[in-house]
Amino acid sequence: MSSPIPSPGALRLLRRAIAPQISLPTHQVRHATLLRRPKRPYTFTQLVTLSDGSTFLHRTTSPAPVYKSTKDQRNTPLWNPSSQKLLNVEEDEAGKLAAFRAKFGRGWDAVSTDETSTEQPIDHLLDLISGQQSKAAGPKSTGKKAQAADAKSSEPALAKGVAGKK
Amino acid sequence: MNGRQTTRRLALTASQYICRPCRDTISRSTYSTAAAVQTDNQSLQHIHPVASATPQTSYAVNAGVVLSRPPMITRDLHPFESAYFLYQRRLNERLALPFTRYFYIKKNTPADLEWKRKLRQRLTPARDIGRYKGYGDEAWNDEALVGAPEREIQWQVERLLEDAEQTGKEGQAEAESEIEHKEGGEKAEKSVATTTVGGKVVQHESFERPMPRITEADLKGDVQSLNRQLQRTLYLVVKDKSGQWMFPQDRITQESLHTAAERIIVQSGGINMNTWVVGRVPIGHQQYDFPSKVLQASPNPNELGYKTFFMKARIMAGQANLKENKLGLSDFKWLTREEIEKEVRKDYWRSVKNMLADR
Repeated sequence: MSSPIPSPGALRLLRRAIAPQISLPTHQVRHATLLRRPKRPYTFTQLVTLSDGSTFLHRTTSPAPVYKSTKDQRNTPLWNPSSQKLLNVEEDEAGKLAAFRAKFGRGWDAVSTDETSTEQPIDHLLDLISGQQSKAAGPKSTGKKAQAADAKSSEPALAKGVAGKK
Repeated sequence: MNGRQTTRRLALTASQYICRPCRDTISRSTYSTAAAVQTDNQSLQHIHPVASATPQTSYAVNAGVVLSRPPMITRDLHPFESAYFLYQRRLNERLALPFTRYFYIKKNTPADLEWKRKLRQRLTPARDIGRYKGYGDEAWNDEALVGAPEREIQWQVERLLEDAEQTGKEGQAEAESEIEHKEGGEKAEKSVATTTVGGKVVQHESFERPMPRITEADLKGDVQSLNRQLQRTLYLVVKDKSGQWMFPQDRITQESLHTAAERIIVQSGGINMNTWVVGRVPIGHQQYDFPSKVLQASPNPNELGYKTFFMKARIMAGQANLKENKLGLSDFKWLTREEIEKEVRKDYWRSVKNMLADR
C-alpha cells in the first residue's frame, strides 16, 4: 500500500506542476499586444469657489457643476498667519457665549493680544461677587461674512480669476 | 616629461608669488632632471624686488533684496493647448466608464427628471464639451471647428454656472422669455432671478460669477498695487536718493547676507510685510564702480565702488510703506520683468536680468 504522504522528491514535482509558471521574458516583443483598457470612472469638470472668492476648475467624479466651500485654507489661521481677523475669531453660533457674558460679565474672557487691559484684576472679582455686568468691550465676534470681507481686504491679492486647470 | 609638467604646474600655481622674469625662466626650461626641479624650488624662494607700494583697493559689500510676489493665478492657455484639452475631454467620453447616474440621483425624483431633461439637450453628462455623444453614429465627429467656443475656459465656466442655475425647462420653453440675472455681490448673498416658463414665473437662485482675471489695478495701471498682473511675478523696485530705480540695497555691517536682507526689507518697506528670505545664498551680483570724479572727492579713495549681492525674498501678505524708511527712498513700485527693464539703468539691468523669473 502506498503511504498517504508522498516522498519529498515527489512532493517537489507535484508542487512545481501546480504552481503558476512565471517565466521571465527572454525575447523582445515588437508586434502589437493586447492591453487591458483601464476602467476609469466618469469625471466631470467642476468650478470650485473657496471661502475668499477665488475660483478654479478641476476634474472630479462628483456631478455637481459648482462647489462652494465654507471652510478651507483661505479662512484658517494656520495658513494665514498674518491675518489678525482669523486669529481673533470667536464663533458664537448659538449665542451661548453672549448669554454667558450677559450673566457673568467679561471677567472670564481669554486674554486678548490687541487690548491692553489696564483694569486691575480685582475689578473682575468684584464683578463676580456683585453679579454686575462689566462695561462691554468692543465686540470681538464678527459674523462670518464680515470676516470674509475683512480677510479679503487684508491680503494683497483679492481678485482671483478662474484658473485654467487642465 | 615629468619635470616639465611639474615646473609648469608649479609656475601656474605659484605665479602670483614670483616675478615675471623668474616665471619666464621656469617655463622656458626644458630640463627633465631632478636638478631642474631643485633649481625651480630655489627660484620660487627668490625674493623679487618689491614694486612701488600700491594701496589696497577694495569694494564695499552690499546686500540687495529681490522681493517678489509670485503669480496668483495660472497663465492663460495657448490656443493650441485649449484645443488639445477640449479634444482630450471629448476623447475621455469614449474611454471612461459611463456615468453611474443612479448612485447620485434617485429614480423618479425632480432631480432625476431635471437630469434626463438636460441630458436630452446636451447628449452627454459633461457640460464643458458642447453637444457631443461618445457613443453611437456620431461618435467619430469629436473634433471642434476652428474658432469653436468650447475651447475657451470662460465658456466652460459659463456653462457650468448655467447648469447650476437653470433647470433645463428654459431651453424647452417655446415662448421667448427674458432671463434676468442679478449678479451676486461680494457678501455671497443668493439673489433671485426670475424666468417665465410657459406662463408660470419660476424663481431660481443665480450664482455669482468668478472675479475677473484682469483686476481694477490692471485697468487703472496702479503700479503700487500688489493686485496687478496676477499671472506674472511682481518685483519691488525703489527709487533711491540719486533718483535711480533699483532693488533695495544697503551696506553690510557685521552681519551675514540673509540677516542683512531681512534688515533691509524692514528698513525700506516697513514691518507691514509678511516676507521670507529664501536661503542664505545670493542669487546674483552687481558691481558698481564710482566715477573718477566721485572717487577724487570721496573721503576713502581706496574704495573703488560697491558689489551688491542680491538675496531672494518672497512676500506673502502686506504692502510696502516708505514712510519710515531709513535708506532715503522716495518711491516704490511693484513691476514685472519687462517693466523693470524700462525703469532701470542698462548696466544694472544686465547684471540683474538673469535673476528674474520668466513669468
